[in-house]
Amino acid sequence: MEDQALVMKNVCKDFKVLNRHEGLKGSIQDLFSRDYKTISAVKDVSLEVARGEIIGYLGPNGAGKSTTIKMMTGVLEPTSGEILVNGKVPYKNRTENCENIGVVFGQRSQLWWSLPLIESFKLLRDLYMVPQQQYEDMIELYRSLVDIEPIINKPVRQMSLGQRTLSDILAAFIHNPAIVFLDEPTIGLDVSMKDKIRALIKGLNKEKNTTVILTTHDMGDVDALCRRIVIIDKGMKIYDNDIEHLKGYFGSYRTLHMKLADDTWEQMLIDEKTTDVMQVITEKQKVTKIKDIRLEEISTEEVIKKIYEGEAV
Amino acid sequence: MNPRKLFALTRAGIMESLHYRLGTFVTLFANLIYLVLVYYLWKAIYASSGVDVVNGMTFTDTMIYLILATSLFNFLEMFVVWDMSRSIQSGKIILDLLKPLKFRTYTFWSYSGSHVVSFIMTFIPTFIVVMIITKGAIPMGLNLVYFLISTVFALIVNFNIEMIVATICLYTESTWGINIVKETIVLLLSGASIPLAFFPEKLRAVVDFLPFRAVYDIPLTILLEKNGSDTLQGLLPMFGFQALWIVILTAAGTLFWNYSVKKITVNGG
Repeated sequence: MEDQALVMKNVCKDFKVLNRHEGLKGSIQDLFSRDYKTISAVKDVSLEVARGEIIGYLGPNGAGKSTTIKMMTGVLEPTSGEILVNGKVPYKNRTENCENIGVVFGQRSQLWWSLPLIESFKLLRDLYMVPQQQYEDMIELYRSLVDIEPIINKPVRQMSLGQRTLSDILAAFIHNPAIVFLDEPTIGLDVSMKDKIRALIKGLNKEKNTTVILTTHDMGDVDALCRRIVIIDKGMKIYDNDIEHLKGYFGSYRTLHMKLADDTWEQMLIDEKTTDVMQVITEKQKVTKIKDIRLEEISTEEVIKKIYEGEAV
Repeated sequence: MNPRKLFALTRAGIMESLHYRLGTFVTLFANLIYLVLVYYLWKAIYASSGVDVVNGMTFTDTMIYLILATSLFNFLEMFVVWDMSRSIQSGKIILDLLKPLKFRTYTFWSYSGSHVVSFIMTFIPTFIVVMIITKGAIPMGLNLVYFLISTVFALIVNFNIEMIVATICLYTESTWGINIVKETIVLLLSGASIPLAFFPEKLRAVVDFLPFRAVYDIPLTILLEKNGSDTLQGLLPMFGFQALWIVILTAAGTLFWNYSVKKITVNGG
């Protein structure tokens, strides 16, 4: 197990929730109600992540992603099952475990709002007891990966969202953690900033061999960073494999684009196992003239969408 | 508990509160208005009583006490309840929970810097003004050192009360009402708004055992060298009282927090 950054075995998490009643009368009833129902947020998830791996941890909203991340970071205790992060049980020695993980939540910042970025870095250096030499090397590495000069002395509250996210990612790596959790790091960013963030994550992962667990709804992140993806839905793991395998997940889908007589493009999703592409074209040709044809691999986004919509189960 | 971690938090806190220095001036101005009100209120009380000394305190004694209590209040005031309820609602609390320190320690030291700043920016100026106006009514000696020690104790007691109330708010999910109740209870029973000497005997007997007295009454009594606090025999029971409540409240607060933290982390995606 030494070479595994993260191991989960049959992890389940249940929540007890009060059954709320409707209306004013119901609200008053709820004050005294003992009527609880159990919701299973995570059901029997097993997972192993090797050191230095970047995995995409995907799932529709409410699938149980955040709950899993909270268990991995030690904030939540699993109802049953086993979790080991860097060989340790995260919720038992939370303070100690925190020294070896980094987190970035795209919608929140851990930086000190009114202070220049460099002060947040120094504070984190002291909080995590990073030796001065290691800290300086890290800042040097940051300089080589991104242009930090314009932001290093800027108060965080004056930063654009992109600069702030970039800073938050740098802050999460300052103590050189073995594993970093990135929760929607590119949310709300423009195309070029997204590219910068992705390059930075890739660079840090390569230089420091940091394990990265990435949750996102942006398939561009997944395509750029992850070789392996794990998908959960309704608390269950439904996919755990390479991104290449994903494309053949429900047969060999391809998208057929046809330029018709009136210069409009028509696109169709075709399963090559059940339908013959040539046949489709021939059929179409009987009705109208086809000026141009393009055949494309199905995009990750489309596959994921199909999985979320429940065609896999 | 490594001092490097803790002082780093104090340092950042100082820098952050210096950033909002305008707030300090507003506080000083608001105090001035409040104290004018207090002045006329107590002037009327003394005038109607017909004697110079009420409950062992002259008008000047009472005023000095209340002025210092007000500036001590500015210094001790914490916003743990507000800040925590906000960070629970936004889910930001997870970032604080993931710092490599115990949450209570982290919170306490995060606030420490702002206390240092407000002590220097509001308490010391007020103290000097009182000294000038009363031409040295406050004794200047070892009592200043004892006062500082008991103020630090008061700070810890107050932090613990705040943390316990903040933890209660996790369950009620509403902050406003409970916070107002807490503030009123603390200000009244600690002797911050009315000196404890004015309390009816029976109520006084109860209040004497409650932790609130450790927050305002004891530090001010020590500073003004009242109730025999100028002797070691008088001083030690006061420090003992504060220390005892620190132990009790820290233990209770820690247990309550550790039990409750498992529940709150459900919130927020």
